[in-house]
Amino acid sequence: MNQAARTLLGIGRKQLAVVRIAFRQQWAYKADFVLRSSFLLLILYVLGQLYGAAYAGDYHLAIGGFTLRQIVWYLVFTEAITLAGPPVGVRIEEEVKNGDIAVRLTRPLSYVGYHYGAYVGEGALRFFVLLAAGALVAWLSVGPLAPGYGLFAYLPLALLGLTLSFLMTAAVGLCAFWVEETRGLEFVLQKLTFTAGGLLIPIDLMPEWLQRVCAWLPFQAALYLPARLGVRFDSQELLRACSLQLAWIAALALLVAFIFRRGVSKLHVNGG
Amino acid sequence: MSTEDRRRSGTFRFLLASWKVNLASALEYRLSFLLLAGMMFVNNMIWLFFWYLFFGRFPVVSGWEMGDVMLLWAVSAGGFGWASVLFGNFPRIATIVSSGQLDVYLSQPKPVLLNVLTSRMSVTGSGDFVFGLIVFMWAGDLSPRGCLLFACALLISGVLFIGVMVIAGSLAFWIGNAEGIASQVFGSFISLTIYPTGIFRGAAKIILFTVIPAGFIGYMPIGLMRDFNPAFAAAAFGASAIFLAVGAFLFRAGLARYASGNAMAMRN
Repeated sequence: MNQAARTLLGIGRKQLAVVRIAFRQQWAYKADFVLRSSFLLLILYVLGQLYGAAYAGDYHLAIGGFTLRQIVWYLVFTEAITLAGPPVGVRIEEEVKNGDIAVRLTRPLSYVGYHYGAYVGEGALRFFVLLAAGALVAWLSVGPLAPGYGLFAYLPLALLGLTLSFLMTAAVGLCAFWVEETRGLEFVLQKLTFTAGGLLIPIDLMPEWLQRVCAWLPFQAALYLPARLGVRFDSQELLRACSLQLAWIAALALLVAFIFRRGVSKLHVNGG
Repeated sequence: MSTEDRRRSGTFRFLLASWKVNLASALEYRLSFLLLAGMMFVNNMIWLFFWYLFFGRFPVVSGWEMGDVMLLWAVSAGGFGWASVLFGNFPRIATIVSSGQLDVYLSQPKPVLLNVLTSRMSVTGSGDFVFGLIVFMWAGDLSPRGCLLFACALLISGVLFIGVMVIAGSLAFWIGNAEGIASQVFGSFISLTIYPTGIFRGAAKIILFTVIPAGFIGYMPIGLMRDFNPAFAAAAFGASAIFLAVGAFLFRAGLARYASGNAMAMRN
């Protein structure tokens, strides 16, 4: 094994260790999190009622290519991704502001990589709990999702979606190197994901001008694409969605690396 | 002037002084004040944008149209806004009780619940209130009758928010750490007041007009403002009065059970 391969293997092992620790840490508070997911049940119930009224309870009617059953499952899929992500932007902001970042930087592990590992470890458990809870509500209110490959397509796309959410939030959190408060920026990011990501309404149901705008933004790749393929599987679309997600991940990873390098070069931490 | 009159006048002057101090404190950081209030305003606008998209696809849902939902947001955000500005501690009662911060209020010669409620002003609440007013001016009936009905709707909505949260917060006197429950009640109650009541059916509808009175706020644009229904108006006023009275009663009953810690606390 050459030197480069050994280095990569070492990085991979460290990343996996972070994922495992974050997962176990989250597992310690599983009961608390299951209770907290009751909020998702309420939201899904209310949205189910809303779309049920909009479709007048007609399970065969398709609007914008979505039936009532597909819409409710679509909402389960988008909400599970949205609510699973830990507040990584806030954590990075805190670390930069109070100087804890200095401790992290001394460790033989990438700073952003550490946060990504923790995000995946925590987020994975939360994601599956939320998905299970949401699926139960959807099943009871509109019945099961039509059999197919949808769920198999959704799971890997959702992981890529979580990665995209991480990169967008981390990019905003790392702005703390320059500005004191990043909550305002994070608020804007959340609201853009809410609308242009198709959190509560599939992008196909939006006006055409907005669909064209959304197609140029990364938010739809984080939420809408995984959820749409989850309820309406199409093998060609799967390939296109996956490529689009990977392209956005590459672009945002470069952006995050650039922000981090620029930011850390001007970092001064006093005391300790 | 009788003793009772003097007491009332003293309480009123105390309320005015609290609000004045809260406002002065919030305005100390004007930029932060404007940013926070503005953020809440933008947040609500984005929700209206969602409804614009939704009604663009489904123009009428259970008899509700875009204008009705705009008024629903005007009533819900506006009512929540004034309650948060004038009685900003109403969502924090469970925290105050369970963390022993109540001691500070008990040592002051003023009505405890009123003192707790008015000792904080929510800055984001002012954004909600202004949002409510602007949306009403945009979509509401601006005749004197329309404005009066909107004022009544705001009053009922705000009182319901306070009443429900005082009840939920007072649970801390009995079960100790009720912060989790109170925060769930708070989030759920707000979530239920921002959707048209018309979409709910059966048992859910009954619950919304009894146990969790969010239905009164949700139905206000139709039952009070669009097609004035005296029975609904009376029920909504009655419900807000009952929830507030039950909240005040539970808080008072809870105070008798309150065992202080030895935490040193200051009013903030």
